[in-house]
Amino acid sequence: MNVALFAGLTLRELVRRRLVVAVALLTLVIVAFTAWGLHRLATAVVDGEPIAQPAVRATAAGIVILLAFLFSFVIALGAALVGAPAIAESIANGEILAVLARPVRRAEVALGRWLGTVLALAVYVAVAGGVELLVVRAMTGYVPPQPAVALGYLIGVAAVVTTAATVLATRLPALAAGIIAALLFGLAWIAGIVQSIGLALGNERLADAGTIVALIFPSDALWRGALYALQPAVFTAVAANANASGSGVNPFAVTSPLPPALLAWACGWIVVVLAAGVLAFRARDL
Amino acid sequence: MPSDALVARGLAKRYGRIHALHDLTLRVERGECLGFLGPNGAGKSTAVKMLVGLVRPTGGAADVLGKPVGDRATRARIGYLPELFRYPDWLAAREVLAFHARLLRLGGAPRAIGEVLDEVGLRERANDRVGTYSKGMQQRLGLAVALLGAPEIVFLDEPTSALDPVGRSDVRALIERLRARGTTVFLNSHLLGEVERVCDRVCIVDRGRVVAEGSVGALTGAARGVRVRLEEGWREFDVAPDEIPALVARLVGEGARIHAVEPNQTTLEDRFLSLVRGA
Repeated sequence: MNVALFAGLTLRELVRRRLVVAVALLTLVIVAFTAWGLHRLATAVVDGEPIAQPAVRATAAGIVILLAFLFSFVIALGAALVGAPAIAESIANGEILAVLARPVRRAEVALGRWLGTVLALAVYVAVAGGVELLVVRAMTGYVPPQPAVALGYLIGVAAVVTTAATVLATRLPALAAGIIAALLFGLAWIAGIVQSIGLALGNERLADAGTIVALIFPSDALWRGALYALQPAVFTAVAANANASGSGVNPFAVTSPLPPALLAWACGWIVVVLAAGVLAFRARDL
Repeated sequence: MPSDALVARGLAKRYGRIHALHDLTLRVERGECLGFLGPNGAGKSTAVKMLVGLVRPTGGAADVLGKPVGDRATRARIGYLPELFRYPDWLAAREVLAFHARLLRLGGAPRAIGEVLDEVGLRERANDRVGTYSKGMQQRLGLAVALLGAPEIVFLDEPTSALDPVGRSDVRALIERLRARGTTVFLNSHLLGEVERVCDRVCIVDRGRVVAEGSVGALTGAARGVRVRLEEGWREFDVAPDEIPALVARLVGEGARIHAVEPNQTTLEDRFLSLVRGA
């Protein structure tokens, strides 16, 4: 009950502080710009001939992946910048003192703030991502293989980074917690590339290092799940051939879907890290 | 119903090597108003935070309203105004109170909210955002939050620090109304005159230790003699109360011009300063 109350408070704050309006307007600008670019691509004429439909779709698929990559960074930053202050600011300014003197569990505050942030980001991913994919389809006729799965994985990225930001914010100032959470996302992404290089070069140590980081902070594993769900089969085949021939590594292509065990690990990671954060918050003197 | 609203037994808090509070042993009866005094850094706010369950003691124990501190159900019967606090500046005062009413599962919340808004004089600005409030108005809102749900004991940590003289007078009147209703008040304040006027008992802490405790009268002592302001300044005379008219007549007879006569009584401030500076 109280978890919903704190989640609702977080959502109301985002609306009242005009963050929702600002993000919605900026997203509309990006969507409009994408629509214009894709329209130009679909109607472009090369050597007096319109570009062939398969080529348009392949280009659109590449653009979708790049947009999703940009989107994953925006989501991760949003998770860090919204999730961390939701707790740390209320501790720093004393807002939480009168609240926790009520019959409220600290776990309810932490989980409510986490839930509110994840819900806000999930709605953003679903609406903005959905609109963007519809625009791509309308302009080029291209539809990624599993758009809903991809959006689901992106929401997973948001949940992982929000979890880190929330847990860090129970012990650290908002700025530190937010920056560390965003850096962890970046480090995990780099580790994912290291893992890809390791696999392509047959270097087990590099591949293992990447795997270990993916287990410690599973945001990149989820991003790769989204990537696989977005890329057409031909991209997957090209990436697999490149790996097999050792001809290079494309950080924006994967060769296999996210293993279910890694997905289960990511879900378990969120639960365990949140629980650890709640315990740390309970032990904190305010 | 137990008669003690609060019992602390050797309550202590250490942060590493720093002792924020030593061995606080204290009893506050229901309906009593206790003034909790001490200089900055004496451990007053730490003690209050331990009593409302925000800080874990490293020693001793305490019961509030018959239950160990931190008991979740009991917290619904406690009001707390923190020393340093802010409410979300994007919410209106009425929304802040509605949020706390939901945390308290308060039935008839709109009426209860209206009552506390009237109590602190904020009804006219209740629908304005907290971000537009002055510091004093925010403190009034803090008081309203503390009073929501008619708590049986109220912990007020520096409730007048941001208030002007009118606001302070309003808070004094508010504390007197709380006492009249039988609400126990734990008043943490620097303002000794304020404490002297509204509290039944006083506990003085310094450097984490209780240095004096007792009724205001017992701490300040009975009046002893009088102070007389003459042309050349104040003079003290050690006389019994019934000897004062004769003393005045004698001084006038000797040609002295008397400007004022007042009981030579130790004030709470005198006592406080002697305890704190003498420590």
